[in-house]
Amino acid sequence: MAQSFLEQARVLDFIVHLQTRHTVYAPHRRGQRSFAFEKTSDPAAVELDYPRVLGSVKKYFLPPRETLMDFDLKTDTATAPQVEPVNAVFLGVHSYDLAAVKRLDHNFLTGKPERNYLVRRQGARFIGVSYVPDKFHFAGSVGIDPYDMTGSDVFLTRHPDGWIVDVLTGEGAALLQGFALPPHALPKPKREHFTQHIYVPQDSLGRILEASYDHPVWNETARSCLSCGTCNLVCPTCYCFNVEDQVAVTGDSGSRERSWDGCMLRGFTEVAGGEVFREKSAARQRHRIYRKFKYLSDATGQPWCVGCGRCTAACTAGISIVDIVNRLIRDAEREEKITA
Amino acid sequence: MELQILKPGLETRELYLPEMAEITAVRRLTEMETLYTVKMPGGRELGHQPGQFVEVSLFGVGEAPISISSSPTRHGEFEMGIRRVGMLTEVLAGYQPGRKIGIRGPFGNGIDVSKFRGKDVLIVAGGIGLVPMRSMINYVLDRRDEFGRLIICYGSRSDTELLFTDELAAWEKDPRVEYHVTVDRGSPDWRGRTGVITTLLPGLQLDLPNTVCCVCGPPVMYRFVVLTLRGKGLPDDNIYLSLERRMKCGVGKCGHCQINGSYVCQDGPVYHLPDIAKLREAL
Amino acid sequence: MANKPRVAIFDFTGCEGCELSQLNFEDQLLDILAQVDIVEWREAMDDRADEYDIAFVEGALSTPDCIKRIHDIRRRSKVLVALGSCAVDGGVNAIKNLHPIEEVRAEVYGKDQYLFPTLPALPLSAVVKVDHNVRGCPMTQGEFLRLFTALVMGKQFAEPDQSVCVECKLNENECVFERGMICLGPVTRGGCNSQCTNFGQYCIGCRGLVSEPNLAGMAETLASHGLAMDEAWKRLQLYNAYRLQGVRA
Repeated sequence: MAQSFLEQARVLDFIVHLQTRHTVYAPHRRGQRSFAFEKTSDPAAVELDYPRVLGSVKKYFLPPRETLMDFDLKTDTATAPQVEPVNAVFLGVHSYDLAAVKRLDHNFLTGKPERNYLVRRQGARFIGVSYVPDKFHFAGSVGIDPYDMTGSDVFLTRHPDGWIVDVLTGEGAALLQGFALPPHALPKPKREHFTQHIYVPQDSLGRILEASYDHPVWNETARSCLSCGTCNLVCPTCYCFNVEDQVAVTGDSGSRERSWDGCMLRGFTEVAGGEVFREKSAARQRHRIYRKFKYLSDATGQPWCVGCGRCTAACTAGISIVDIVNRLIRDAEREEKITA
Repeated sequence: MELQILKPGLETRELYLPEMAEITAVRRLTEMETLYTVKMPGGRELGHQPGQFVEVSLFGVGEAPISISSSPTRHGEFEMGIRRVGMLTEVLAGYQPGRKIGIRGPFGNGIDVSKFRGKDVLIVAGGIGLVPMRSMINYVLDRRDEFGRLIICYGSRSDTELLFTDELAAWEKDPRVEYHVTVDRGSPDWRGRTGVITTLLPGLQLDLPNTVCCVCGPPVMYRFVVLTLRGKGLPDDNIYLSLERRMKCGVGKCGHCQINGSYVCQDGPVYHLPDIAKLREAL
Repeated sequence: MANKPRVAIFDFTGCEGCELSQLNFEDQLLDILAQVDIVEWREAMDDRADEYDIAFVEGALSTPDCIKRIHDIRRRSKVLVALGSCAVDGGVNAIKNLHPIEEVRAEVYGKDQYLFPTLPALPLSAVVKVDHNVRGCPMTQGEFLRLFTALVMGKQFAEPDQSVCVECKLNENECVFERGMICLGPVTRGGCNSQCTNFGQYCIGCRGLVSEPNLAGMAETLASHGLAMDEAWKRLQLYNAYRLQGVRA
């Protein structure tokens, strides 16, 4: 569709344009060195040039904590609260996070589609932005480059003087209605380079992982892994959740609450009676990596890792998913050379 | 494969809100196990297959996956045999007939009965594994003509922990059933066989290609039972296993019950052995 | 409920901050009181009773008299709950266990030391069976309410066993390490809704360790963020001195 140009000087006007018509969520500074999606009020606080946000836009469709139902213990009845549609414009989403939304869609909308997720998800419109890969990004290795417009309604590509605007859907065109932009015909800037890479394509990775079940890397990683669950909780494609009942102090009412959970946490597979099916941290690490590069990928043909680098950037023990995977690849290649 | 999922007009259902069913009977089976009879709202059928489970919901306590113990051939109410091992089952142990409980389900694939039809049926149940297997056993008994021999091998830790003792006694007498039982440790009055469940298997005379087996029991049991069955020459293709995992949501969303690439609550809990023999974490 | 549970509250060696935070339930105190009979609580009342359905016990055990009293309380209580880090883990009191007991006694009581018999500080569970823990320094109020409700309802209480990082990430905080500080969150038991890191503080580990902490890994992480190895272990010992006795190789 049409391509136009948004000068840097008009970016604030553009945000104001969106904000007066829609609820807008965009990246803001959080803490000293981080960014997070928040609802915009001050357009000047929006940061379109950022390396990554702490949590992805996942939090709007699958909230970290959510009440599934309220119950009355006197009558033994439960009611599900009304789920509010998000119905918002997400400004400044990176391509890997949009790829992650698709994966969440797959989980929550195939098989038995979940209402809570769908109600929140269906009104969302996305304005993607390009980014400059930092030392943690490796999205290129899973086929998602910084200019990938898949999933965006409008996409903004960084240009020295502003942003090249691609309108990709009818919804995107509607977002720009009333905000005139000059057309743009120049070629896009050159591809940005990633500094982090996984050195084989996804299809052979599945095969390598298949053969790496007993690889020493799992135990080696377990020595430093603190099993804190951070890697799961920051991952934009992790969707596992736990459900627990809360009861009011008065003892007559309560609610069933769900919250994000993580397969790196020891209690994740615990069943009544106390058996834990992945007791060892090494087994949990392997499960996590296989979840991202094998199990769901075997079923769908898509890697379930989008290369955002969050798990590595946030790991409290400095464990790198790229290092683990490359180690497996290197050892598998060495093995092949020896046997060949 | 493209993941284009979100499209207009997608139908969704309420997945998490339970229906309120009523406990109509409570029967103590052993010190630890109790059998609950449950009536769905309006007396409607649960509509399950042998081997399926429900999520039982007690408000303020939580939910737990519970195997269905009655056969779908017995209409009206359904039964659940429950061992007191966790928070929910502990509270449930105090419930009397007339109490309401939440039910979601039935969930899981259940046993594909068509694979057993016309064949000799071998049921290997360890301990509480008899609870879901009872659903299959009674299914076969109620449609006896549709199946070949019915061979039941049941192992329990001790004779005081044997479940459904009245039915066991009936199977023992029933000429249509070949019933074998063993206990790990018998009390002084125990007249039957002593030993682990695998000791029941070598003596069985099986028409191997025509025998289909379903195994259910505690995790440690599967490996040994499968090895013994293979040792007898029963092909993997004729073996089904019912596995336990932490099934939280029952609808393939929450991720807890995943074994490698498979969700136990969707693809299981009953697995065809060739499908999981390669899943390293399954057995 | 026909008979309200009879509740008693006791304190041993500690700052009594946990009891104070019980009095601090402004919104819920009346709801709590409506459901129980408080039959013994030095901090708030004078009554005395002989038997308790639930005894809440604060503080560590650090004298021979403490040992005698806790046995007595246990004998008279159906359910015994350890309140706060001192009662659950020995807390900061247990730091004294790192030094020879006679040295500690001389340092604290000087020439009167023989009037004050003292023992290495112990969590309640080192001496009697403890049914439930409410962790934290002071105890985490939300956890107290969850346990209290469970006990009154007659259901089991599942103690949280995941790191502080979990709630910290649910709250989308910037990681403390990212700000150049060190944090014990990764091996510290959550359940506090990461209340310190929510306000820009680091986690000092007051809720004790998760059930299977990777301590060597945690010390390595702290060291990689600039702490000397000895200092790293000292940080871990602040609230975990009792549990870490003999752990470091």
